[in-house]
Amino acid sequence: MTDLDDKLSFLLDDHPGENADAKLDELIGDINLQYRMRRYHMIGEVMRHELPRAIDTSFHSNVMARIRDENLQQSAGQTATETPARNASILSWITLKPFAGLAVAASVAMVTVALWQPLKQESGQNDNSLVSADQQKIQQLAKQQIQGGVVTASTKVQPLGMRWKVERETPGLQQKLNAYLVTHTEYSNSMQSLIPQARVAGFDSQQ
Amino acid sequence: MGTNLLDAELVKRVQAGDTGAYDILVQKYQHKVINLVGRFVSDHAECQDIAQDSFIKAFRAIHNFRGDSQFYTWLYRIAANTAKNYLASRARKSPGYTVDVDDAQHYEGESGLKEYSNPENLLLTDEIKTTIFNAIENLPDDLKSAITLRELDGLSYEEIAEVMDCPIGTVRSRIFRARDVIDKELRPLLE
Repeated sequence: MTDLDDKLSFLLDDHPGENADAKLDELIGDINLQYRMRRYHMIGEVMRHELPRAIDTSFHSNVMARIRDENLQQSAGQTATETPARNASILSWITLKPFAGLAVAASVAMVTVALWQPLKQESGQNDNSLVSADQQKIQQLAKQQIQGGVVTASTKVQPLGMRWKVERETPGLQQKLNAYLVTHTEYSNSMQSLIPQARVAGFDSQQ
Repeated sequence: MGTNLLDAELVKRVQAGDTGAYDILVQKYQHKVINLVGRFVSDHAECQDIAQDSFIKAFRAIHNFRGDSQFYTWLYRIAANTAKNYLASRARKSPGYTVDVDDAQHYEGESGLKEYSNPENLLLTDEIKTTIFNAIENLPDDLKSAITLRELDGLSYEEIAEVMDCPIGTVRSRIFRARDVIDKELRPLLE
């Protein structure tokens, strides 16, 4: 018998006396005091014939476990409501990402076009020098091929139109040159960097 | 301060977020709610489930409880409605008689026909009843009278003091001593 038990008895009979809050705090926080409270209630229930025919000693703990689970689920639900918001921001980014990419691509394209015009003008101005350089290379190549073969005929490169003009009386050289140009053109189709050369060394359709 | 004020204080705490206070209310009213649901549903397991659901529903709705009625009246109404809804949803026949919610707690009904799936619990309950009645029988007369007037007749401390012609402090002491003696016999069964 303790003073606390006496207070509990008094409390259960709705006479909390002084410091009712403190007593309730003690009751809520002390599991042994709760066991005693249940037994005190049970005494009254038995006397009034209110006790069920079969009591379940784990009933209240099952109820409280379900309540705790619900509270946890609610907490999880709150987290879940935050998650869609985060997902929404992610989704919006995913939705906007292609447009952002398009915007970047468009910007790059605009810059490229803007820079291309001056470059084109510059390249137009230097066309003659480039052609002459190319012609020199072609002449050297032609000389090497001629030296490798038995061709003795003279070759002439026409400066205009960037076309090769090989005299019809030197079919061997013409054949070699044409073979070279065909091969070169095939490479130029797959290699972007060779496009200018391919353009310079275009195959003569009149041949 | 009546029972209702203690309940009101516990309810206030639950509404403030103290789940432990609801645990006290569940422990206090669990058997009464089970008995009430037992008037509607005969199966013991179903009765337990419905009683649990009733407490869960009451917990969910406790923020809407304004204290216009007593907590236990409100709780009993939830339990009765839960049991009725259960019967309706399962399309089962009710016991065949109408029991008012306010009277259900006093109604004995057809308890003899109930099914109890757990013989251990049945045996334990019988032991508890026997132990308590035997302990009461062995109490000194003043303690026996005090606890009987309090628990069985529901008199207040003031009324008991008047009936027994003694101070309220003495009533308080006698009631507590009676409980303590009975509890000493009861405790080993529940540990």
